[in-house]
Amino acid sequence: MHETLILVWTFFKVGIIAFGGGWSTVGIIKNAVVPTWISENDFRALIAIAQSTPGPIALNAATMIGWSHGGLVAAMLSTLSVVAFPVMAITATTLLAGKVKLNQGALDSSLKTGSLAMMLMTLWVLKPVSLDPLLLILMLGAFYISAFTKINALWAILGSGAINAIAGPWIRGLFGG
Amino acid sequence: MAKNNQPPTPIRLFFMFAQITTVTLGGGYVIVPVIGSALEKRGWMNEDDFYSIFVKAQAFPGPLAMSTAMLVSIRLCGFWGAFAAFWGILIPPFLALILVSDLIRTYGSLPAVQRFLAGAGAVVPGLVAAMVYKSVKKGSWNIPRVAETLILAILLALFPKLSLPILLGGIALLYGIEALCTKH
Repeated sequence: MHETLILVWTFFKVGIIAFGGGWSTVGIIKNAVVPTWISENDFRALIAIAQSTPGPIALNAATMIGWSHGGLVAAMLSTLSVVAFPVMAITATTLLAGKVKLNQGALDSSLKTGSLAMMLMTLWVLKPVSLDPLLLILMLGAFYISAFTKINALWAILGSGAINAIAGPWIRGLFGG
Repeated sequence: MAKNNQPPTPIRLFFMFAQITTVTLGGGYVIVPVIGSALEKRGWMNEDDFYSIFVKAQAFPGPLAMSTAMLVSIRLCGFWGAFAAFWGILIPPFLALILVSDLIRTYGSLPAVQRFLAGAGAVVPGLVAAMVYKSVKKGSWNIPRVAETLILAILLALFPKLSLPILLGGIALLYGIEALCTKH
């Protein structure tokens, strides 16, 4: 129970600063859960899974970590705690509508700067750990697909997993690895 | 014209979002246009209204799909609409992830599954780099903005345990600076 409460608090804090779409949040999630709740390598696999299954990445990460640390109740509570703050913020804004005037332009631009900084931090904390040539090539391929084509990143994730699962040992064998 | 003229109700919103979140893979920026066209097809909201809500949704923390769905549903059906949208977005991924977690728990020790997970995980830095590349290309840049972004990113990387105060403080400070600058 104590463990679940810490998990809930961890994900509640993630929810407060989870600005700017899935990928910018990943670094924040990683800092919060690695290595206390999940190992470095498992976290990378978890993010790949969270991105290729239905639903927002932060919710999926919370569900999976909660589920592996305490079953159904922990999974539900962690998932709800990620969205607790955002839901409160939406409710508060709706109730206060018109009473507080924010400068929308200034807000957009400061959030854009904030979320790009979060993305850079994510890139830093997720820099490749393995020097396996095949995995590095797959990573570069995913960068190309995602940066320069309109193909859904999902296919890069699943394709790379499939290539490594089916042909990985054979390809490494060709290069004597 | 809209084929379906049934008015929006919380139950219909629940099923609409549950269906969208089940079949749409690939994060907030993929799901948002799908929500927009589903609303337009039902004749519940036109594209302009939808995108003006979406712009507001981006200012909220949390998953983009969630904030967009809730703000749209508040507009259409008030509190119960938002309540229904919340569970519609939440429940299908929750069940899917528990299923996937169990599959991994059962088959995760097989070498082929481990290689699959290693291969899938290896592309993550590439995908993040692509997002950075696209955001940098899309943004309008000047020296203060480059400096602000880099300082914030470096502080976040140096003090991982302090992400929350750094980000909230940083964004509040930037908002203050921007608001002052646009006033003059």
